[in-house]
Amino acid sequence: MTKEALSKKAVLLPGTLEMLILRSLERTGEPMHGYGIALYIKQISKEVLLVEEGSLYPALQRLAIKGLVKAEWSESETGRKARFYKLTSAGRKQVTEEVAGFEKILEAMLRVVQPA
Amino acid sequence: MSKLAEFRRRLIQLGRKSKVDTELAEEMRQHLEMKVQANIHAGMTPQEARFEAQREFGNRTRLQEESRELWRWMSLESFFRSVRYGLRVLRKSPGFTAIAILTLALGIGANAAIFSVLEAQLWRPLPFPDSERLVEAHLVLRERSRQWDVLPVRVFQAWRSESHSFTNMTGYLYPQNRNLTANGSSERVHVMAVAANFFDTLGLAPERGRAFSSDEEKPGGNHLAILSHALWQNRFGSDPGMLGRVITIDGESYSVVGVATSSLRIEYFYDEPAIFVPLAMEESKVLRNLYAIGRLAPGFTPEGAQTELEAILQHQLKAEAIQPEPTAAVSNLRETWTQFAAAPLYFFAGAVALVLLIACVNTAGLLLARGLARQREFALRAALGAGVGTLIRQSLMESLLLSVGGSAAGTVLGVWLVQAMSTFIPDDMLPRRAPVEFDTRVVLFAIIISIASALLVGLVPGILASRVDANRVLGQNSRSFTAGRGQRRMRSTLVSIEVALGLVLLFGAGLFLSSFIRLVNAPRGFEAPGALTFHVALRGNDYSKPEQMQRYFRQLTDKLDSLPGVHEVTLGSGLPLAGTDLWGNVNVAGRPPISKYGLYVDVFAVTPNYFQALGMRLLAGRSFDPHDDAGSTRVAIVNRNAARELFGTEDPLGKVLEYVAAPGRGVPAEPPVQIVGVVENAQEFNANELPFEELYVPFAQKVVPSAYALLYSDAPRGTLSSAIRAAAYDIDKNQPVYDMQTMDERIDESVSGARFNLVLVAGLAGVAILLVAIGIFGTVSYFVEQRTQEFGIRLALGASPRKLLAHTIGQSLLTGAVGLALGVATSLALGRLLRHALYLVPHEHTGMLYGVSIYDPLSLVCAGGVLFAALLLASYLPARRATRVDPMVALRHE
Repeated sequence: MTKEALSKKAVLLPGTLEMLILRSLERTGEPMHGYGIALYIKQISKEVLLVEEGSLYPALQRLAIKGLVKAEWSESETGRKARFYKLTSAGRKQVTEEVAGFEKILEAMLRVVQPA
Repeated sequence: MSKLAEFRRRLIQLGRKSKVDTELAEEMRQHLEMKVQANIHAGMTPQEARFEAQREFGNRTRLQEESRELWRWMSLESFFRSVRYGLRVLRKSPGFTAIAILTLALGIGANAAIFSVLEAQLWRPLPFPDSERLVEAHLVLRERSRQWDVLPVRVFQAWRSESHSFTNMTGYLYPQNRNLTANGSSERVHVMAVAANFFDTLGLAPERGRAFSSDEEKPGGNHLAILSHALWQNRFGSDPGMLGRVITIDGESYSVVGVATSSLRIEYFYDEPAIFVPLAMEESKVLRNLYAIGRLAPGFTPEGAQTELEAILQHQLKAEAIQPEPTAAVSNLRETWTQFAAAPLYFFAGAVALVLLIACVNTAGLLLARGLARQREFALRAALGAGVGTLIRQSLMESLLLSVGGSAAGTVLGVWLVQAMSTFIPDDMLPRRAPVEFDTRVVLFAIIISIASALLVGLVPGILASRVDANRVLGQNSRSFTAGRGQRRMRSTLVSIEVALGLVLLFGAGLFLSSFIRLVNAPRGFEAPGALTFHVALRGNDYSKPEQMQRYFRQLTDKLDSLPGVHEVTLGSGLPLAGTDLWGNVNVAGRPPISKYGLYVDVFAVTPNYFQALGMRLLAGRSFDPHDDAGSTRVAIVNRNAARELFGTEDPLGKVLEYVAAPGRGVPAEPPVQIVGVVENAQEFNANELPFEELYVPFAQKVVPSAYALLYSDAPRGTLSSAIRAAAYDIDKNQPVYDMQTMDERIDESVSGARFNLVLVAGLAGVAILLVAIGIFGTVSYFVEQRTQEFGIRLALGASPRKLLAHTIGQSLLTGAVGLALGVATSLALGRLLRHALYLVPHEHTGMLYGVSIYDPLSLVCAGGVLFAALLLASYLPARRATRVDPMVALRHE
């Protein structure tokens, strides 16, 4: 991990991790295990967003408690048993809302940041 | 909805707790493995790969715990943790725990007990369907603004037929003691005359047979009876054939048409009615003790109903050209039937609440002292990261545990108290005979006051404890730190409050004691030690004529006179402390009337030796003599009060009194009487009363159907009473003798309510003073213990033990003095507030205090003195220890 990446990671806005997880699950459209989700976010963000396991698992538990994802044990690609997370219908609704909200904020921020 | 789903998910996870743990562990292990594989894939050696993966992953156990915690109820878990911790702490100091629990148990138990009494006596709805919609309607005299016990039948009927505020309206006469003969034996039972729709209005149709119909309200058509369920069961063995059978009430036949349901219990009168008979409504009559009961129609309020009845009443009065004197009043039936007990019960509830308050303050003080002792513990925990909230919660938890223990013990105590109370509460003090019991409401109340007490007890010490400066406390290497200023001040404040509350109760007890002493020694106006009295009320067709009644009483007197050992016999239509049934309104002949209706007087028809036998002092003129008979001039004797009201300072002898007939008020016309004597006032109904105006007339000149006999005898009570019953049985076996008591017993009964009040208040004050003493003892002990080292130094430097003792006691007396001042102020303010509830209202028989000022300085000084003595003792015992400190030991401590 480069120093640059570390500093980038700190930029992750609080509360966005849960949205990222939900969005990842939505985009792949299939159940993923924790490692898969972390990997996916890393890849899609071109290694800018690095998800620490230390935040990933509590976030997954929070989502499960809220009923936005559902966890199930099944066989992974390597033939091992792993816990796969799946978007629930409530989670699908939530992700649409959150993404819309996030885009709004992002747009607003860009307008402030960009030169006139 | 989503909260509910979340709750369900958490609950499911809670159920499979161990599984969640292993699953999380497994999941993370898998994750790590994948990472390792990826690292190997990227070209690391297996060791490097594993090391790198673990480094990135961080503390797996911690992460696992964190993830798992999310599923839990944090508060619930830490709640159990503090329960466990609290229990451990309390177990470690059993003495403190026992005292605190006992203190709270006393407070909570007494409160639960009084609550159960209030609930069962005052608040519980009457046992009729939808009974809170039932109201009583009666008349109130404008001039005296209190209930008038008279209601013209015409007004009642107008109310019943014209009002729209009620779905049903009925009436009843106050139950009367009458003589029931059935199956060959007689007994006295209470009979209640009721209007036809009585059972309908209460919503309880007879269980068997039928209710009365409206034709049966007419005079003559009313020789019918409905038995109460209890009478039917106990007296007639639940005989299903009772309907249609004939019973005899006061010598007249009544046929039984129904049996009431067992829920029809009317226990708010002196005796529960056992028989209901139709109320004979004579249009022209004004009935004494006739009351209307209505069931409010949906949407109507008592106030609305009152307005309507008032309009009907005024219309009636105008039609009869009577000046509008009374007004209509409508009140909740339950409150009306139980109101006489409300003031004393609320008063005691207040006193008992004070005791709980003292108990709470006391326990808070003890906790505070302990909090001081545990400063190091709290400081250490604060240093280790416990937040202010955690420390306060811990303190609250301990006090909650104490109060849970206290309320459990208190509930047991309460049950016992209630049982004890119900055996020695005077019969006539409580409106309902319903057993006072512990139901869910009482338990709920106990729980609520326990929680409130816990908050009260735990909050202050908790806040103070949490403010401990960890650096200061832990920096000192010994246990010799002393209380912070704030703590000491708080502690003194608590003690002062306790002393103040204690003083209020003690002062109250002083007032009741002083009142009781005055009551017992009050001039009764009569003196008849050893005299036995009893009542006979002649009923039935055999006594419809005056001669028949007179003959009976003449025979009775002769028979009693001839009993062995009897030396004096007298008769009266009433007796002191038993009252009389006769009354009249009089004006002085040849003078402008005193008021429109003259002076209201209670009338006693008495035999010539009445005053002598009762030891009533004649102030002027003569007593009656045998020549004052039916044929001679009608004469009368007035009591001192009536003489003063009628004549002021003038001599009443020889003056003539004229009766004012007032049919509208139920007062009959009588021939005038000439005053021949004045007699001293005698207590008429009760010891605690203002003297009434009384008129005495000769028994021979006024025919009465009911009389008391009083006699002196050398024979033992048992022999005498059976001889009396045999004599009465001989004359007429259908006229039973009842209410047999000696005058001494009547006196005792007349002060029994006051005695009960005294015992109760004194008991509460005793508990209070005990609690205050415990509180002070605890404080001073603590104070001494904290300053052992200081005392050691002082002693070493040459201070005399006596000086140390004075210093220590002085401190607590200072605190006590502040409390006493506060208590005096509170007592006087409370007294001002409660004055009206505590004292007698003229012409009524209520009032808890007699002849003592609410500001009675003697009671105040005594209360202060007793409290001061307790203070002194409670601080002396621990303070003595201060003087026995061995300087060497105290200093070596450092």
